[in-house]
Amino acid sequence: MIRPLAARYPGAAAMTEIVAELLAYVRAKHPRSLAGVEEARRLDPARFDGYADLLVGWAMRALGDRAIARTVDAFALFSSDVNMAQGRYEASGSYEHKSYRGCYEAVYADKATMDDYLWGVYLTNFMWVHHLDISAFFETRFVAKLPARAALIELAPGHGGWGLVAMHRRPDARLDGFDISPSSIEISRALAAAAGLADRARYELRDALDLTSHPAGVADACICNFLVEHLEDPDRLFQVIEHVLAPGGKAFVSGALTAAQVDHIYEFRRESELVLLAERHGMRVLETLSVQPQRTLPRAQFLPRSMSLIVQKRTREHW
Amino acid sequence: MAIIDELTGVFRQVFGDDELVVTRATTAADVEGWDSLTHVSLMLSIEKRFAIRFKSAQVASLENVGELADLVEALANK
Repeated sequence: MIRPLAARYPGAAAMTEIVAELLAYVRAKHPRSLAGVEEARRLDPARFDGYADLLVGWAMRALGDRAIARTVDAFALFSSDVNMAQGRYEASGSYEHKSYRGCYEAVYADKATMDDYLWGVYLTNFMWVHHLDISAFFETRFVAKLPARAALIELAPGHGGWGLVAMHRRPDARLDGFDISPSSIEISRALAAAAGLADRARYELRDALDLTSHPAGVADACICNFLVEHLEDPDRLFQVIEHVLAPGGKAFVSGALTAAQVDHIYEFRRESELVLLAERHGMRVLETLSVQPQRTLPRAQFLPRSMSLIVQKRTREHW
Repeated sequence: MAIIDELTGVFRQVFGDDELVVTRATTAADVEGWDSLTHVSLMLSIEKRFAIRFKSAQVASLENVGELADLVEALANK
C-alpha cells in the first residue's frame, strides 16, 4: 500500500503535490541531500515552491511519471560530484582540468553522463539555496525589465531552464539558443515543448563561441549562465556577447568563483575579474550579485561562489 | 582489523564522537550531521586512510555503511 504524502513528508498537506512529492523523494532516496534542499526552501518557501511547480512540472510533462526520480537522482549525483570536486580542490589548490579536451573526455563525450549532468543542474536553479537567489535576481532585475517583444539569444543554454523561465514570464519575447552539446539541444527542446513554448524558444546545435560569424547586433538581450568558467579563454565569450547584442542591449551573465566542478577550467578568484572582463568587451556593468552556499566544507580556504552580472552594451566610450 | 572497525574509527574522527558505533546497516539517517558536506569529509578521510580514490558516482550512490565497506574493500584490493 502506498503511504499518503502527509506521512512521507512533514507538512505535506500545506504544499502543492509536486513539492511534497519532491521533498518526500529526497528524504527517502537521498537523505544526505535533504538538509541543503530544506535550507533552500526555508530561504523563500513561496519562490522555491513556485519554481518546483514550474520546472518540475515541465519535466513531468517531458519525462512522464519517472520525472521526479530521474531529475532528483541526477541532482543528487551532480551535487555529490560538485562537493567531491570542491574537497579535492581544497587539497590541491587548483581545478582538476585545465583544458576543454580534458573535460570532453571526462564528461562531454558520453551522452548518458551529459543527460544526468544537465537534469541535475536543472534542479539546482531552485534546490541550491544560493542559486534560488540568482533565480530571483534573474527574474526581478533582468527578465521583468526586458523591452517589449524582445529578441533574446541564449549562449549555451544547457538544460534550457533559464531561457524558458524568461519566455514563460514574457509571452511577447522570443529566444534562440545555441549549444555545442546534443544533449542540451534535446533536453531544451523537450522542455520547451512541455512548457508550450516551442514556437518562441528555438535551439540550434552550434558552438556558442562561433557566433561572431552570426549577424551582428540582432539581440535585444542575451542570457549566458555558467559557461564562462568552462572556457579556456573567457574573453572569447564576451566578444560573442558584444557581437550579438544591439547597442544598449543587456545581458545576464553568471559564472563560478573558486567553485570546483569536474568541467570547470578557468579559475575566477575575485568578483572584479568578471566585472573587468565585461568592461574590456564594451559592456557597462549595471548590477551584480555574488552568492555563496550557507554551509561550506570544514576549514575551507576557498569559498565557492556564484556571481551574476547584468551588463549593457555601451553606446559611448564610458557608458 | 575488520574493515567495519577501521571505518568506525574514521567515522568517529569525522563526526567528533568517540562513542559512535556503525554497522553495515547504518545509513545517513542514523548518524546526526551526516549530510552532503560531511559525506565529502568522510569520503576524503577514508581515501586517505585506505590509500584509495573514489569516483564521484560511487560515493553518490552509497546507501549504507555496508555498501561503503564493500566498495572500500574492492578498491583497496585492486
